[in-house]
Amino acid sequence: MNSFRLALRVLRGDRRTRTSAILTGLGVAVATGLVLLLVSLPFATEARGERSTWQEPSYGSGEDGPATLSLASSEDYTGGDKITRVDVAPLTDPGSIALPPGVGKLPAPGEVLLSPELARLADGMPGSQLGERFGGDVVGTLGEDALKFPGQLVALVGHDADDMPVTAFQQNGFALGGAEQDPLLQLLAGVGVVVLIVPSLVLVASSARLIAARRERRLAALRLAGATPRQVISMVSAETAIAAVGGALLGAAASPLLHKLATFVPWDGGTWQASDFQLPLGVAIPVVLLMPALVLLAAVLGLRRVMWTPLGATGSHERKPLHWWRLLSLPLAGLFFAVVVSTAEDEMGMMLVLLGLALIVASAALVGPWVTSAIGGIFGRIWRRPSVLLAGRRLRDDPKGAYRASAGVVLAVFTGSMALTLMPSFESMAGSSSPFRDSVLYVPTDAARAERIVAETNATLERYGQRERAIGVGEVVLAKGENSGQQALVLDCERAEGLLRLDMAGACAGTPGVYSEYPMELNGVTVSAEWGTQGVPLPADTPVRPFEVTGEDMYSTAIIDPAVLPEGVSPSEVTVAVPTTQANREVVRTALAAAAGGAQIESREMRIWDQQTQLSDLRRVTVIGLVAAAVLSGCSAAIATAGSVMDRRRTFGALIAAGTPVRVLARALRTEAAMPALVATIGAGVVGVLVAIGLYSLVEEESSVVLTPWIAAPVVLGAGVAVLAASVCRPALNRVRAEPLADE
Amino acid sequence: MPTQTTQSPGPLATSTRPALSGRGLVKRYGAQHALAGVDIDIQPGEAVAIVGPSGSGKTSLLHVLAGILPADSGEVLLAGTRIDHLGKAKRSELRRTEFGFVFQSGMLVAELSAEENAALPLLLGGVSRGQALADARQWLDRLGLAGKGARRPGELSGGEAQRVAIARALAHQPSVIFADEPTGALDTRTGRDTMNALLGAAAENGAAVVIVTHDRDLAESVPRMVTIRDGRIATGVTGS
Repeated sequence: MNSFRLALRVLRGDRRTRTSAILTGLGVAVATGLVLLLVSLPFATEARGERSTWQEPSYGSGEDGPATLSLASSEDYTGGDKITRVDVAPLTDPGSIALPPGVGKLPAPGEVLLSPELARLADGMPGSQLGERFGGDVVGTLGEDALKFPGQLVALVGHDADDMPVTAFQQNGFALGGAEQDPLLQLLAGVGVVVLIVPSLVLVASSARLIAARRERRLAALRLAGATPRQVISMVSAETAIAAVGGALLGAAASPLLHKLATFVPWDGGTWQASDFQLPLGVAIPVVLLMPALVLLAAVLGLRRVMWTPLGATGSHERKPLHWWRLLSLPLAGLFFAVVVSTAEDEMGMMLVLLGLALIVASAALVGPWVTSAIGGIFGRIWRRPSVLLAGRRLRDDPKGAYRASAGVVLAVFTGSMALTLMPSFESMAGSSSPFRDSVLYVPTDAARAERIVAETNATLERYGQRERAIGVGEVVLAKGENSGQQALVLDCERAEGLLRLDMAGACAGTPGVYSEYPMELNGVTVSAEWGTQGVPLPADTPVRPFEVTGEDMYSTAIIDPAVLPEGVSPSEVTVAVPTTQANREVVRTALAAAAGGAQIESREMRIWDQQTQLSDLRRVTVIGLVAAAVLSGCSAAIATAGSVMDRRRTFGALIAAGTPVRVLARALRTEAAMPALVATIGAGVVGVLVAIGLYSLVEEESSVVLTPWIAAPVVLGAGVAVLAASVCRPALNRVRAEPLADE
Repeated sequence: MPTQTTQSPGPLATSTRPALSGRGLVKRYGAQHALAGVDIDIQPGEAVAIVGPSGSGKTSLLHVLAGILPADSGEVLLAGTRIDHLGKAKRSELRRTEFGFVFQSGMLVAELSAEENAALPLLLGGVSRGQALADARQWLDRLGLAGKGARRPGELSGGEAQRVAIARALAHQPSVIFADEPTGALDTRTGRDTMNALLGAAAENGAAVVIVTHDRDLAESVPRMVTIRDGRIATGVTGS
């Protein structure tokens, strides 16, 4: 009988082997499905990018032909949702310009194409709220192929070439294809592979443990009966391959469902199209082959003892105590990490940081069992109750096995603590150095356009019945000598106080002058329109008055009242600014957008909102990843606990038959399963926070890490998962109690 | 009803109340009768060997008498008190306090030392750690295992491991000891020594012993032998 047939016969005849094979298969299926999903994430962002590259200027073009199109891309907002606005003007025969997929026509001047969702929104509200921003007739809608994600808000606005905003770029047709993968998602996918695969593989290992003792006895009997090592390997490979290959195929078959679920998770402003997650076969096939190969390799490596010492496998064997040097691996890895973090400057430095991170993660596999053994030793000395004695002795005897069950939980807690330390710190970095108040909308432009934008905006605001008015805020340079100077905004005192994040501190009561946060000496100071141009001296008697900055992250600027601006100085860069209220913000935005004609409308509020959206994306993906890791780790820990009961079924059965209460054994097993996990999760939490502090120092040297009580959440969650998983021992023991002395 | 033949009553056979009795015990596994109406009395301090071929029902009888498995019908009485209708927890408590067990291959806890294994029933009964270990040590000494209390089961010979199991069964001074194939994994001489140790220690303690075995030679060394066949008590033979 060949190995495959023998494996099939064992699977058919033995319920526990079947259960183990099913769980192994499920573990491999979950691991395969997750890897296929995680590996597809960067490809998904690339697919998104491929559809939406046309929405951005093609800065690289020019070498591939003459400029045929002027294009400006800007972002606008409605009700907190981002609108991508693309303004275009043909520089040649419009018919000769190749259109991106999903774009039915190139809009002529005064024509607009809207994405379906934006068209729906515009139809559902007054023109002053949204529709009139685009300054033209809606002549069609954009197809799905032209959108980054379903429901993206996009406006494609046609212009004459001389009516384009200052930021317009002349290029050779639309940019088509050539999108790159999102580096942040690449990094997250890499971390996710490790965080989710480890508990998946622990799940597989735990499933194998369900029959470890029985299989070892069977194989040892076969070796004693004369089977060669090659035959034994062949039998185990066949047994494992059936489960692992089946699981990998199941995972591959179920991955479209997982991908479908992933399409509902928003990232960078929207959800995904189902086709985004399609993996190239050249990537998918190796993944599907690799997973069962890894499981097979692990199964064969696990046979070493049976292969070389079959008698030892059938009898008892002494466990060697773990060496103390294991404990050194964590501080050594930590030291390496601290050194590379403090010296990392270039790409090589970052690679070393990642290596340091990997070493810390790997050191857990050395330290964890040692700590587990130490806990067992302590229990073995201080026990007063039989449950503590049983747990302590078991932990001392098989610390690697006991720790393995909680390895997934430990990794999830480590990553979670790291993420929850970094995220509030990143959130604290969010902000904008813009001097304008949050509620002010502004458009940086040049002087000529600014005058027109101000006039048109104010005319529209008057038509809309709004009291607010746009003004142009010029920028000049206050220079002293050739190398020293400061930017100054041209504003009168009252308007500065209304538009900027300043407290003029009573300065407006005096005559017009120069206003500054710091003491200024105007003797020898000149005013010029731009850096490096000849300035006009300020009168020496120009008053300087102080103000206080109310925004901590605001960049330093001085203010010069137009009344004291020397003659002949005319700012070339002007920002058109309009104050708004919560009630009229959308209407003012519409008036400004219609006049700006595609120039970017900015506001500090929206910039911060944008940053918060990115952090929300990150937080959401992290939470999903951690919950998945917690569930997987919990399942593997639960199976490991059940396996631990199965391993010792005969002993437990005899103890139960002799009257040992199930609750005593359950308490021992719970202690045995949960105690190392509890200690390891606390350790992992602490190490996670320390590593996060190190990583944060790479990004921000000056500000300190923001520690919130939430950093304890992964530890609490991990401990909860460990305790919950350990509680599986009760039903497993109840099964033993039903027939305590039955054969396995 | 089949009759039970006892040719050699146990040492306390004249006691008015049996230590353990089974009345009309029936146990079925599906359509198969493991016990088809068994009546048996075991007197205090008496040693009984239950013999029979494989599948005859001898292990089922031991399990039912010990309260490990419930009978489908019939009664089990411990010192005249019915115990078969007790709940799982009560039966478990009864096994822990009134019965001792010796299984084939000892069934010791591999991670515990010989001393800790023997002390386990005492610890479960609430005896303090120091007292339980001291008592266990005494039992091991009595069974010829002096100085071997710190060894793990894996470091003991088969016979030594069985004697640890006997110490564990006797440590809490039960009234009945159940032994299921206690010498099944031992060679003849070690088996005989182990059996003598068990019977001797039980007699010293005044405990009745119920031994299930398929080894007729071994059974003949027990004062009373009961043969069971097809779930019924068959003709017995005299023990030596």
